[in-house]
Amino acid sequence: MTEKPFESGSSSESSPILLASSMDTTPLRKLLHGISEFVVSSSTCGKKTAATRGRRIVHRDVEREEFQYGGGGGSGGGGGGGHCLSSYYSVFVARLAIMVMLAILIGLLTVLTWHFTKVYTTKSLNTLAFGLRYELLQRPILRMWNILNSTSEITTAQVKLSEYVIRRYSKPTNQAEQVELYEMMKDITWALFASRKALNAITINYKNGFVQAFHRDHRSNNTFYIYSDLANYSISSTESYHNEMLSSRKGRNDQFIHGNVSAIWYRQPLDPVTGEKKGKPSQIPPDDLINIAGPSQVPDGVASWHVSVSKYTDSPLLSAALPVWDATNTSIMAVVGVTTALFSVGQLMKELVEVHSGYIYLTSQQGYLLATSTNAPLLKNTTKGPKLMMAVDSEDRVLRMGAQWLQEAYGNKFPPGHVVHVEKANLGDQHYYIDSFFLNLTRLPMVGVIIIPRKYIMGKVDERALKTLVILISASVCILVIGCVCILILTNGVSKEMKLRAELISHLDARRRAEASSNYKSQFLANMSHELRTPMAAVIGLLDILICDDCLMNEQYAMVTQIRKCSTALLRLLNNILDLSKVESGKLVLEEAEFDLGRELEGLVDMFSVQCINHNVETVLDLSAGHIVLRGWCENRNVCSDSGKFSPDQKKPLSALKTKLKQHGNHTKKAGKKDNKMILWFEVDDTGCGIDRSKWESVFESFEQADPSTTRTHGGTGLGLCIVRTLVNKMGGEIKVVKKNGPGTLMRLFLLLSTPADGVEQQGRIDVSKHSVAVILALHGSIGRLTMSKWLSKNGVPTLEASEWNELTQILHELFHARTLDSGFDTHYSLAEPVRSKVQSLQDMKNPVYIIVVDLGLLDLSTNIWKEQLNFLDKFSGLVKFAWMLNHDTSNAIKMELRRKGHILMVNKPLYKAKMLHILEAVIKESYVEPQNRSPNGTKGTSKEGDSHECLEIDSTQFETCSSDDSDETAGVSSVSSVHIREESREGTILKSSPSTLRNCLVEFTRLGLDQCHTKPKLQNTEDIKPENPDSPEQPSVRSNAKDRITNEPKSLQGLRILLAEDTPVLQRVATIMLEKMGAVVIAVGDGVQAVEALNSVLDNDNEHRNDQVETEICDSPPYDLILMDCQMPMMDGYEATKAIRKSEERTGWHIPIVALTAHAMSSDKDKCLKVGMDAYLTKPIDYKLMVSTILSLTKQSSP
Amino acid sequence: MDLVQLQRQLVDYRTSLYHEGFLDEQFTQLQSLQDENNPDFVVEVVSLFFEDSERLLNELSKALEQQVIDFKRMDAQVHQLKGSSSSIGAHRVQKLCIVFRNYCEAQNVEGCLKCLQQVKHEYGIIKTKLESMFQLEQQILNAGGSIPV
Repeated sequence: MTEKPFESGSSSESSPILLASSMDTTPLRKLLHGISEFVVSSSTCGKKTAATRGRRIVHRDVEREEFQYGGGGGSGGGGGGGHCLSSYYSVFVARLAIMVMLAILIGLLTVLTWHFTKVYTTKSLNTLAFGLRYELLQRPILRMWNILNSTSEITTAQVKLSEYVIRRYSKPTNQAEQVELYEMMKDITWALFASRKALNAITINYKNGFVQAFHRDHRSNNTFYIYSDLANYSISSTESYHNEMLSSRKGRNDQFIHGNVSAIWYRQPLDPVTGEKKGKPSQIPPDDLINIAGPSQVPDGVASWHVSVSKYTDSPLLSAALPVWDATNTSIMAVVGVTTALFSVGQLMKELVEVHSGYIYLTSQQGYLLATSTNAPLLKNTTKGPKLMMAVDSEDRVLRMGAQWLQEAYGNKFPPGHVVHVEKANLGDQHYYIDSFFLNLTRLPMVGVIIIPRKYIMGKVDERALKTLVILISASVCILVIGCVCILILTNGVSKEMKLRAELISHLDARRRAEASSNYKSQFLANMSHELRTPMAAVIGLLDILICDDCLMNEQYAMVTQIRKCSTALLRLLNNILDLSKVESGKLVLEEAEFDLGRELEGLVDMFSVQCINHNVETVLDLSAGHIVLRGWCENRNVCSDSGKFSPDQKKPLSALKTKLKQHGNHTKKAGKKDNKMILWFEVDDTGCGIDRSKWESVFESFEQADPSTTRTHGGTGLGLCIVRTLVNKMGGEIKVVKKNGPGTLMRLFLLLSTPADGVEQQGRIDVSKHSVAVILALHGSIGRLTMSKWLSKNGVPTLEASEWNELTQILHELFHARTLDSGFDTHYSLAEPVRSKVQSLQDMKNPVYIIVVDLGLLDLSTNIWKEQLNFLDKFSGLVKFAWMLNHDTSNAIKMELRRKGHILMVNKPLYKAKMLHILEAVIKESYVEPQNRSPNGTKGTSKEGDSHECLEIDSTQFETCSSDDSDETAGVSSVSSVHIREESREGTILKSSPSTLRNCLVEFTRLGLDQCHTKPKLQNTEDIKPENPDSPEQPSVRSNAKDRITNEPKSLQGLRILLAEDTPVLQRVATIMLEKMGAVVIAVGDGVQAVEALNSVLDNDNEHRNDQVETEICDSPPYDLILMDCQMPMMDGYEATKAIRKSEERTGWHIPIVALTAHAMSSDKDKCLKVGMDAYLTKPIDYKLMVSTILSLTKQSSP
Repeated sequence: MDLVQLQRQLVDYRTSLYHEGFLDEQFTQLQSLQDENNPDFVVEVVSLFFEDSERLLNELSKALEQQVIDFKRMDAQVHQLKGSSSSIGAHRVQKLCIVFRNYCEAQNVEGCLKCLQQVKHEYGIIKTKLESMFQLEQQILNAGGSIPV
């Protein structure tokens, strides 16, 4: 857990690296570099949250894993989390990159759009505006120019006319001529003046000082003729004037002025159209009204221009003056002056401005306003009359500010030509265009300035541009937002997928780990079983050796035997644990083998009887009805039956548990299906408390109990039924709880089994009915007795039943006393009528052999009466054979006593068919032997010996089924499928499992490998079985002839030839010694090849010999009785060797038993061994006892 | 007196071997097989074990020095060693062999080398222990005593 924060930190750092690697490939490298920097900076600030989030994810992962593996897989939890985190970061970065790119794209688009719309428009508009402004300014200038031109034209025309007139009247000789000249001049001038309405005035100043002028007052629309008094002027003075003028202009100029001052001026109004005199001339002061251009204004004889003001007009006047030369062109005759008001220019400007708005003004080069587009006065009144105003002093605000701005911007240093174009002059709070043009007239340079508010030209554009900008920005922001959302949505799917993938990967990881751990588990189990079995085998072997020791005390012997039993049980437990795990993991492999259902059931009953007898439960197997009945009840001992645990009325004496067997052949039920299949039905019925209906399904789950409360009276792990169901399902069956009437539970299960092709025939048994045998059943337990007697009578054996001692004595009396005395019945022996008739029928039998099966419980064991009872029975010993039914806890004293009395037929409860058969067989056999050996001494001895065999044999059967799994192998009744049948049927009686029953169940699995089908236990096991029967009745006798046993036992393999194939010298030696100690002849070889060779050479020899000695030798005796084969050997391993041997055997028809020796303890190895043709299987290290028993079972079986 | 001491020493020594896990019950079984017919059975088998083990260990060392390691063969050899060691009850060697086999199956050269060293080590120990035990037994026999069981 501590390394998680570190991991998350490192993975968060990986995001810029990832980006950097992608940078090289993208064309927008620079851009992305910027982005990456941004990402780095943003990720560093976002790291904290991301890291904590990552940690949380990892933490959750770990928790989940810990939950799954119980804390085992915590260390590996970082991988998936880190992966998840890094993918998260890569998604984050990718998202960011895409968003930034989108933003840049949209930004570029916006800027471009903005640029094209705004700048181009502005530019073209500016161009247009410039043109407009230029045009605007040009027009007043043109007007000005026109005015100037027209003025100069008029002036010129006046001059030319004057010259003409004056030349005609040159040298006027008299006053009249002079007057005529002046009249002529006056007419000409009027003509000119009248032709030009725009003229303000025309003046002619003659050199003699005479002045003629026409004046037009535009305000009052009056026209005046102004002239000076002629009287003052003389021709002479003109002469002098001329001379003076030549000599000194200055002097003349003064003369003109002085002359004028002295002259008297008259003004005469005229009709402006016709020029008729309308009124009387009035005297006016000279120079009062208009400027009379004098010779001073034409000093150098060329035209001059100047701007003047008049007190009658409020606009400046433009005056031009031109001299009139005489014919010789040497002297100035007169000066013509033309004055034009600039008013019209201002008028034009106003008109223009009205259309186009803005302001226009004209100034002289000195800055005096000549004309403006406003109504502001152009002149200022001073004490000396009106004067021209400077532009900067203009009353109009805009004009003033424009002029000031220009002055501030340029001062007096105007650019060449005075041409200025300013687009954004800030005047006041508005922007204006200011343009100025320079009009270079001779003597009168003028500057035109136009001020146009920017709003007028660019107002709409600016407004539109702003709107466009706003729209563009908002649109791009919208697109950006939508794009980002889209990217988020798109990448969300991707990131989800990535998350899923990461989860999948982590799941795969987890599964791999789980698989690995389960592998480890099985490996561990394999090793465990090996490791545990080895010491256990050693313990058992050592105990066997100890039992063989002859210096043990009786008690010690008993104890050691007990230990032996316990060890066997422990070993079995170990095997069971292994098997349990196999069942759980589903690795259990079932093998099909034939079995005898009846025998299996008998074994089952045996097993239960051991467990039940102590608890006052009678176990009865009624095969004819197909029932196993457990009567009575076991109290608090779940070993008996789990159903008991759920019975609240445990004291109920007669609750019965029945297992019904129903067989349906396929011919009845499944005719259409495969022919060799059959369904076996089992029903388990009890009268306990039952299982709640809702639990019917769940009781089959693992660790499920019908009563989950902790206060329940019955314990258990709840695995039993789960295993049962697994097994039943594996065998193609089904188990379920069925509804039943009455209390308790009814379970039904069926198994689908294949029937063998050739039906198993019953082994040839002694047909009891042929022998005259009669059986008296003196047993407790009415059902068992009844069942047995029914079966016996069915088989033609007459029976008598007795349930208690008195009954038995009565029957005995009846039977024998009646016969011996042959004198009818004593009245005090009152037998019931049916019994008596039976007794009579028995008496009718010819030379019958009476067998009395006596339950030891019939004797009164609590006191010493039982000895007397025995003595009583002893009286009949010659007449009848006694078979004693023993309890498991029957004391040795009783057994010894019985044995002493010669009652050697003893069987353990319960009594069932097979046991009864054994008793019958034993008795019949003995009865045949007896007549032959009937000698006073010998009878007892031989019979004892023979009986001892039988007795042991019968007990061994019992022993085999109930406790030891070693002994199973010697007398294995079972085969694989049969084991399961037994398993199932027993489990059927056990509704609920407990550890102990589980153990019992699983005992059976250890028999899997036993394929030696002893259909019938045989007598030859005697010596082998002996030590395994600690509580068998002959124990005292064993003790008594211990010496004999010891000498006998090691030689149990006497005469056997055994081929040992083992490559490890140590094992070879050990095994050899072991076998030799048992009296076997051992031929040891080092590998499989040698083993095959050894066999073949002998075979060949044997074949040759046999041809010669067919008569003398036993034909089919193989060279070796048995082969012990190590599985793993150099050159040729055990499997190969076995195959080779089996192949070579085909020629001879033998079957030499081959026992595998292997260090592998798993069932797969076992299967492999059996598959290649081996007969049995021993695990290393060799268990002495197990080996001997295995060898014995194989050799005895194969021998005739 | 000397003899009794020797016998006690032997018993103690043997018990310590069992306790420390050098030997297990298999060795006891081996001893029980020794009788008047095979008076030196245990020594014989154990010396067989020594020979066999030394051969196997040598072969294993050689095999591990090869460029190309035949793990299958090694596995078989280790298996053999395991069999023989378990047969005489050399418990620790046997346990190591199981680990060794796992490494062989995993083809883990590092683990194999490590295990081989450990096996050699354990083998050396058990060899010395057993030899000293036999020596002790011999002393007892020479002194005319019987070997306590």
